[in-house]
Amino acid sequence: MSKGDQILDVRNIHMRFNSKGICVRAVTDVSFPVYEGETIGVVGESGCGKTTLGRCIVRAYEPSEGSVMYTTSEGEIIDFLKIDKQTMKKYRKEIQMIFQDPYSSLDPRMTVLDIIKEPLLANFPRMPKAEMERKVMDIAARVGLNTAYLKRYPHAFSGGQRQRIGIARALVLNPRIIVCDEAVSALDVSIQAQVINLLHDLQKEFGLTYLFISHDLSVVEYISDRVGVMYLGKMVEFAPTKNLFEHPMHPYTESLLSAVPVADPTVQNERIPLTGEIPNPANPPSGCHFHTRCRYCTERCSQEVPAYREMEPGHYVACHRAEELKLKGFSYE
Amino acid sequence: MNNETASKETILEIRDLKVNIKTDEGTLTAVRGVNLTIKKGETLGLVGESGCGKSLTSKAILGINDKKCKAEGEIIFDAENLGRVNLLSLNPRGKEIRSVRGKQISMIFQEPMVAFSPMYTIGNQINEATLLHITRDKKKAREISLDVMKKVGIANAEKRYDQYPHEFSGGMLQRALIAMALVCSPRLLIADEPTTALDVTIQAQILELMKSLQKDFGMSILFITHDLGTVARMCDRVAVMYLGRIVESAPAVEIYKNPQHPYTRGLIGSVHKIGTKAQERLFSSEGTVPLALNLPAGCGFYDRCSRRIDGVCNVYDPQLVDIGQEHQIACFACTGCPYGKGGKEEKANE
Amino acid sequence: MALFKKKTVTDESYYLASQWSLMWRKLKKHKLARFSLGLLLILYLSALFADFIAPYGLEEFSSLYKNTAPTRVYWTDEDGHLSRPYVYKLQKINDKKTFKVIVSEDTSEKYYISFFVPGIEYKLFGLIPTDMHLYGLVNEQGEVDRSARINIFGADSTGADIFSRILFGGRVSLTIPFVSAAISFFLGILLGGISGYFGGVVDNVIQRIIEVLSAIPSIPLWMALSAAIPPGISVSAMYLYITIILSFIGWTGLARVVRGKFIALRKEDYVMAARLAGVSDFKIIVKHLVPGFLSYLIVDLTLGIPGSILGETSMSYLGLGMKAPATSWGVLLKETEDLVSVAQCPWKMIPLIFVIITVLAFNFLGDGLRDAADPYK
Repeated sequence: MSKGDQILDVRNIHMRFNSKGICVRAVTDVSFPVYEGETIGVVGESGCGKTTLGRCIVRAYEPSEGSVMYTTSEGEIIDFLKIDKQTMKKYRKEIQMIFQDPYSSLDPRMTVLDIIKEPLLANFPRMPKAEMERKVMDIAARVGLNTAYLKRYPHAFSGGQRQRIGIARALVLNPRIIVCDEAVSALDVSIQAQVINLLHDLQKEFGLTYLFISHDLSVVEYISDRVGVMYLGKMVEFAPTKNLFEHPMHPYTESLLSAVPVADPTVQNERIPLTGEIPNPANPPSGCHFHTRCRYCTERCSQEVPAYREMEPGHYVACHRAEELKLKGFSYE
Repeated sequence: MNNETASKETILEIRDLKVNIKTDEGTLTAVRGVNLTIKKGETLGLVGESGCGKSLTSKAILGINDKKCKAEGEIIFDAENLGRVNLLSLNPRGKEIRSVRGKQISMIFQEPMVAFSPMYTIGNQINEATLLHITRDKKKAREISLDVMKKVGIANAEKRYDQYPHEFSGGMLQRALIAMALVCSPRLLIADEPTTALDVTIQAQILELMKSLQKDFGMSILFITHDLGTVARMCDRVAVMYLGRIVESAPAVEIYKNPQHPYTRGLIGSVHKIGTKAQERLFSSEGTVPLALNLPAGCGFYDRCSRRIDGVCNVYDPQLVDIGQEHQIACFACTGCPYGKGGKEEKANE
Repeated sequence: MALFKKKTVTDESYYLASQWSLMWRKLKKHKLARFSLGLLLILYLSALFADFIAPYGLEEFSSLYKNTAPTRVYWTDEDGHLSRPYVYKLQKINDKKTFKVIVSEDTSEKYYISFFVPGIEYKLFGLIPTDMHLYGLVNEQGEVDRSARINIFGADSTGADIFSRILFGGRVSLTIPFVSAAISFFLGILLGGISGYFGGVVDNVIQRIIEVLSAIPSIPLWMALSAAIPPGISVSAMYLYITIILSFIGWTGLARVVRGKFIALRKEDYVMAARLAGVSDFKIIVKHLVPGFLSYLIVDLTLGIPGSILGETSMSYLGLGMKAPATSWGVLLKETEDLVSVAQCPWKMIPLIFVIITVLAFNFLGDGLRDAADPYK
């Protein structure tokens, strides 16, 4: 896939939640650039902060620190997190989101037509009704919904079709960036494939940029151009997909890759076990957050926070021993 | 491993199992005649998408489906104390089924968080089964429970024994759940999506644990999942379920190398394998699973099938047919139709 | 398994059904709720048409009939042949031996039960003047005779027909809960909504007020509040005061429900989706949040109505609420205060049956509504 110009620059995002006097650092200092038309995959286990990161970028949460520099279609660069309400109204529609749960993401009390129409009504209140409906029809047909069924309520649809409705709602405003938060995780495999194919086609057709957040490594590997791995709120590795899967540089990535179940009984990949449990994010370990479970851990790892640095062009990693370790990944054909 | 298990005796045989669910709109047959055998010491994977009836099948074995469901057919279990017995013919609240359920057949559920009561300590809850089935001596029971907890890899078992479920992480709870299921050394373990709710690294740990425990305890496992990756890692044999029927059944290696039924092919094709050259599109069967209340005649997959033969597949109901070593399939397009009016493709794919 | 539920219904109307029609579908399947709904409908209709159904007005009483048992209705004549149903008039006889006054039937003349007979004048719905009643007595000549009375549920200590009084009492007892529910509804949504939406200090203050209010025992509170009602006011003013007293306590529970639902719904993905699409806060509240918990509120209200009915009944029974000449079920039950009157005139307990039936019916209906409230689960 061809890379376009930089469209987003996520810079030093921090997100802290305070509850009952305990401060949980959900996201700590995450930065990466996003180019137009590409798909960035973000993987990690539950509680690693990937969903929070996604929500910070669409500004569903207000991050504690950091900025998201957005290059508008006119070439202007704005900080998406600092713009006022007026400007927000103009650009909000350009960054949309697709949710994980196709059941809770659609209001059961509205017809499908109304659900897809809602963003249009909010942003273009003066658009003639006929044009609005035509737009809804077009987009519904494009995502593979039967337009004769638009007067139905969401309960009439299966999970896969509901996810298509969610996609249509996100697309109807002609966004440039879509954050997909576990967008296919709740679906059955054959339906998953349909939706992934659809996302792929839409990307080509509309030149969309995806931020694809998922715990499913095979889906991420399939769909992404570049992948970031998160652990306990931090980005530990970020690289082009093939690089990351073939030559991981962070021990956590290595363990994660070795744990992926491959749908082929003849491939019994040797698993690199992770000992212990994910530490409590309210009280993360000192030094490198991963050192408690890392099998390459040294004295230094428990004391010093590793720098997040570029090892090869485009391959970032936060590990003290990245230079010396030769880690195992998948072997590509 | 397959050849070894093939000769072994069967521990569970399901014959023509049907599960009917009473709904407001009428009776719905969610499981439509399932035939399965599980041999001693083997792991059988039951694969299918949501709503295909795989969980209902497993619950029917234990007789723990809710009141609206009625199971018909035969579930023959080789019980220690009763010999070969049809579980469905036993009184569902009787003494005999209780000597089987929990002791000889036990179950692991998908959500470890809800399988434990938050009001009792983990040790207490594991002990429950021990006290019920093995010994009445509380001290002895505690020892047995601690022993199993250590076996499933719970570090600090003595301390953990007195902790409450909320003090456990998801992975640890799943281990505790396995400990609870194994405490009576069951002959058959039913694992209903045991790793679906867990993260990949924890998932891998649990699967490995189950594998090694199977060797130690010599039990059979019925492994129910929708994830083809875990099946490949865990199972000796695989049965693929669609719309309340087994559509294909074969040794694990065979089913991945040489899938026959169009549905199985679709299922395997729709999962991307890391490291393979990215296809432009993932394979996907069109459409969705039809509604089970008013099923059309013929094969349940007819509407979505790429190889359907009009006049055959939508008329006759395909039955499981042997097509090779332990490889069975229910598809007219692959095996030809014994009722005549076969299509041209009949023998094409033999 | 969501899939199975969907499989059960396949017709297009189901797919096009809105939340309310889905709820109605589910409610219809709940037999007890459906039966209760019918029963309540009958009760309310009879309260509405009380003037017409009741044979006597509230001011019609006869000292002759004081504390008399339900009038006996004869279906056969002296020869044992089936006849048009009739009753006898009562008469006072002085027992010459004991000098006691005995009330007994005067069998000299039959009074036939007849339908649509003229009686006391009234205005139907307060508009149409008429004197037609559903049933009454006519003598053998076919003329209306007001001296004979038919009291199917007996008569009270003033000699008024209990059945008529139950119907008129129903007007008060059955509507007070609705009016007070409407007031609670308004207060509950407003304060609960404010509490749930703004959170923080406002939320804290409102929650504490609710706690204090619900910590006060209700009977002393009623006593205190009813002491504030000025004496000698009209019946309708009394009615108003009592509804306000009842709703004063009723809104707290509702406000909590609203607040809880508000907070839960605010976290739904579809609310976030609307926010990301640029929908304004006010529109989100009106279009997503309020419809989301409206069904729960209705359930809560239905289940709260029995409480108000019992509240009014017990207030009136204790003499804190409606007072004669006003009539409500509680006022009627006041006659059963002492054991003697219950032992001698057990029919005075009949109003209690109506209270119980109404309360049960509302509970069953609420139960059915609760099952139907979330048709998507």
